[in-house]
Amino acid sequence: MSDLAHDAAVGHPEHESTGIENRKLGMWVFLSSEFLFFGALISNYLLYSNRTGFEGVYPAEIYDIPFTSVSSFVLLMSSLTMVLAHNALTRNDQNGARTWLFATAALGAVFLGGQVFEFTEFIVEYDMTLSTNPAASAFYVLTGFHGTHVAIGVIMLLSLWGISRRRGGLSEKHGLNLELVGLYWHFVDIIWIVIFTVVYLLSVPV
Amino acid sequence: MTSEQHDQPGQHDHHPTPAQYWKIAGLLAVLTAIEVSLFYIDHALGLGIFNAIMLLGLSAVKFLVVVGWFMHVRYEKPMISRFFTAGFVLACSLYLVVLAALGVVAIRG
Amino acid sequence: MTATAERPTITTIFRRPRSTSGLWGWITTVDHKKIGIMYGYAAFTFFIVGGVEALLLRIQLASANSEFLTAGAYNALFTMHGTTMIFLFVMPVGAAFMNYLLPLLIGARDVAFPRLNALSWWIFFFGGIFLYSTFIFGTSVPPVSPGGIPGNLAAGGGPGSFNFLATSPDGGWFGYQPNAGPLYSPGTAMDYWALGLQILGLASLISSINFIVTVFNMRAKGMRLLRMPVFAWMSTVVAFLLLFSLPIIAVALFMVTFDRQFGTLFFAPVGGGDPILWQHLFWLFGHPEVYILILPAMGIVSEVLPVFSRKPLFGYSAVVFAGAAIAFLGFGVWAHHMFASGITPVAQAAFGLATMTIAIPTGIKIFNWMGTMWGGRIKLSTPMLFASGFVAMFTIGGLSGVTHSIVPSDWQQTDTYYIVAHFHYVLFGGAVFGIFAGLYYWFPKLTGRVMNPGLGKTHFWLQFIGFNLTFAPMHWLGLQGMVRRTWKYAPETGLETWNVAVTVGAFIIAVSIAVFMYNWYHSRRHGELSGLDPWDARTIEWTIPNPTPEYNFATPPEVTRLDHFWHLKYEEDEEGRAVRLPEADQIIADLEYDGLNPRHPIHLPAPSYFPIIMASGLPLIFYGIIYHTTTWGKVLIGIGALISLSALIGWAIEPLEEPMDHEPGHDVDEFDEEIIEPGDASSADADVSSLVDGEMEVSDE
Repeated sequence: MSDLAHDAAVGHPEHESTGIENRKLGMWVFLSSEFLFFGALISNYLLYSNRTGFEGVYPAEIYDIPFTSVSSFVLLMSSLTMVLAHNALTRNDQNGARTWLFATAALGAVFLGGQVFEFTEFIVEYDMTLSTNPAASAFYVLTGFHGTHVAIGVIMLLSLWGISRRRGGLSEKHGLNLELVGLYWHFVDIIWIVIFTVVYLLSVPV
Repeated sequence: MTSEQHDQPGQHDHHPTPAQYWKIAGLLAVLTAIEVSLFYIDHALGLGIFNAIMLLGLSAVKFLVVVGWFMHVRYEKPMISRFFTAGFVLACSLYLVVLAALGVVAIRG
Repeated sequence: MTATAERPTITTIFRRPRSTSGLWGWITTVDHKKIGIMYGYAAFTFFIVGGVEALLLRIQLASANSEFLTAGAYNALFTMHGTTMIFLFVMPVGAAFMNYLLPLLIGARDVAFPRLNALSWWIFFFGGIFLYSTFIFGTSVPPVSPGGIPGNLAAGGGPGSFNFLATSPDGGWFGYQPNAGPLYSPGTAMDYWALGLQILGLASLISSINFIVTVFNMRAKGMRLLRMPVFAWMSTVVAFLLLFSLPIIAVALFMVTFDRQFGTLFFAPVGGGDPILWQHLFWLFGHPEVYILILPAMGIVSEVLPVFSRKPLFGYSAVVFAGAAIAFLGFGVWAHHMFASGITPVAQAAFGLATMTIAIPTGIKIFNWMGTMWGGRIKLSTPMLFASGFVAMFTIGGLSGVTHSIVPSDWQQTDTYYIVAHFHYVLFGGAVFGIFAGLYYWFPKLTGRVMNPGLGKTHFWLQFIGFNLTFAPMHWLGLQGMVRRTWKYAPETGLETWNVAVTVGAFIIAVSIAVFMYNWYHSRRHGELSGLDPWDARTIEWTIPNPTPEYNFATPPEVTRLDHFWHLKYEEDEEGRAVRLPEADQIIADLEYDGLNPRHPIHLPAPSYFPIIMASGLPLIFYGIIYHTTTWGKVLIGIGALISLSALIGWAIEPLEEPMDHEPGHDVDEFDEEIIEPGDASSADADVSSLVDGEMEVSDE
């Protein structure tokens, strides 16, 4: 006789009432709530970046669009390497999965490096800090939280990579985890797609 | 390993091949390039509202492509896209109203 | 009675916990019932604390120009009373009910993620302690001149003085900016408030994900969504409300913390920040929050009324959809808390109209509850008294709420005691009455006994009279001009007489709660044994023995229709009346026997200490953030992060459930579950008395 709690927890979708594994459904539910989180931060930026009359430099005045474009491209490509990792695992290509996992983490790290560089430039070159004006506060907190999400993603990717190396491959359970980390990673990417357009490209006064 | 091998995570009937993933990534790169170009064109020629519409449109396409193919939503059960859409629509609606109330967005009429 | 538990020897550095008994059993539990019980006791403790805070307020207000409290102490008390009652009582007691009942109502063994469930509880536990530690460590310094102190660099970043109430947050439970910001609330007290709420919000967010996946994925065979008990539905709706509203307050609390700690300018008018932004973000969360507070109680009432009217719930689908509609509309009305804040007339009109629409689904529910009772054979047991009280009192509170939706009327009512009357009628007359209905109703599931009916009725009538005496006069006190959040009023206002009555009422409430507490304590040990079906109930949580066995259902139930249990016992005659089947008693006896004697091995998730360890890192991080300008503050952040991260890694490695072979001699390392062998009954595990008594009578081999 099937034990519902047991089977569902192990991840046998045919026993779950929706046919979607518990952890997968949980990740999707979590990600849908993150829209509310980033939406608040993006709205906050839109509010303050559109208010004139603040003292100090506005973020939109000092963006380095070419630089950020390259960063965005890097993050987009990391989504590619992510799906390639997942795809490799579905074909039981453990080595390939490991390689692409590492590539994704590396690209993510490059993106983060770019963010750090950008922030440093803003602070040192243009004297724009958290306290310069509300627009600056909003910019840093928005991109800072996005960067934190990326960093957490990189840690998760490297953990999976490490587990795969130690054990010679990912088991079924860890395979699902790879898919879940992938979902999280793509989500962080699509938030950046929105940020790049709304916060960067559309923000700079013509 | 267990007997439930058919439950390889993510194994569904339709699965883009690596070649298809590369093509999608290429599309995303091209769209990004167009976006950046539009930015410069707008600054040179002043496209007005057309710029915003095009940029938002291009981002929307990128967004949907990543969600649909990379996040696999196209091949998943409808419940997943419903949850995801619900969160997205709710966020957009609520914050649009807040921005309107704070004077950032004007509601015409 | 023994529970045979077979567990692995080593998963990480320490042995995986083996015991489900004693204090360690509670600390490492992942059993939803134990977690629910812990939530319940913690919440009730905070109920008492919040009640004491209220009584102090009432003593102050019982006489004009009273000097019982200083103005600062008064501000601190109403801040902590509101914060405690909302975040540390009503929300966690809702969590207690949902944790304990949800798997039982849908026929599951546990929730979808048992260790995550334990994590939620421990995060809540440490969050509540963190928030209240403001009384030891917090500082609340009077604001300085408008030059201000940027960020929170108030002198004395360490433990503050022991001026008891001056250490408490005093910016209101809603923390309006810039009053609660770095300029006007220097000191650390409001940081404890903001970061405390942040921790508590995280606990609820994790819970909400858990419950949504549980309801969608773990239902027993035949338990279609529209066959679920209403309480299960309301829990689901609440989970969605939490899921979508908590991220908003999380952002707002981060922003205020950054304003206070790191010099951002989100809400500081001096730097260009907008205080109205805080109000929008806060109430975007805050309004769904009030539906989070009331919907569980509505669910409880929807369970109790049919049982004690001996009639099905009138319009089950309508009640379910109305609940979902209330939640959905509830996202669209937040600015009705801001009618006097200077929002545009268009916004006022829009939100006023939207608020009025909520009366429609609410009215549907009220009429359906009345329709349930109409023509039924009412049994006025204690749960029924409280449930009926809910319907009446909530209706009154709802009516005053409708008056708020008329904008010009609200301009008169806002910031007066009329508003205080409204929300206490819906939150106390509503949620609290509903909670007590549930406590009396489901007490047998926890303990196998029934609470004393005489004491129950005494509790009810004392509480009913005390409640109405306390809050009814607030309606006219408010309309006469008594202002909220103000520590004293002049004798010339003529407000004193009714304020005395209000205070008397508050103390009557206190006495009624004491009666309840005695009843609870006494009945746990000496109450009349309940048997399987003390209330002749309708839903499947009553098809298993009382107290609930650790494994819930010996065999997963198969449900064929709504009110499945009722239809096992009753059929309808030609006139549609319920006729008890002759075999009903035998069915109940069989259910009890089968429930206590499972025929197949049962796999349960094993206990784990990682949830409590991971949760314990969080307050350390947040203490560190408050004192981050000092060295040891930074060290605290590091230590806290290290603890949480280590626990996370250990957790990720530790298997919850793996496909396994439980033959003796099998590789023990793969084996991580507690096995209940046929013939065992470990119902004693879930008995709350084990918490008090210490060791239980369970032998661990």
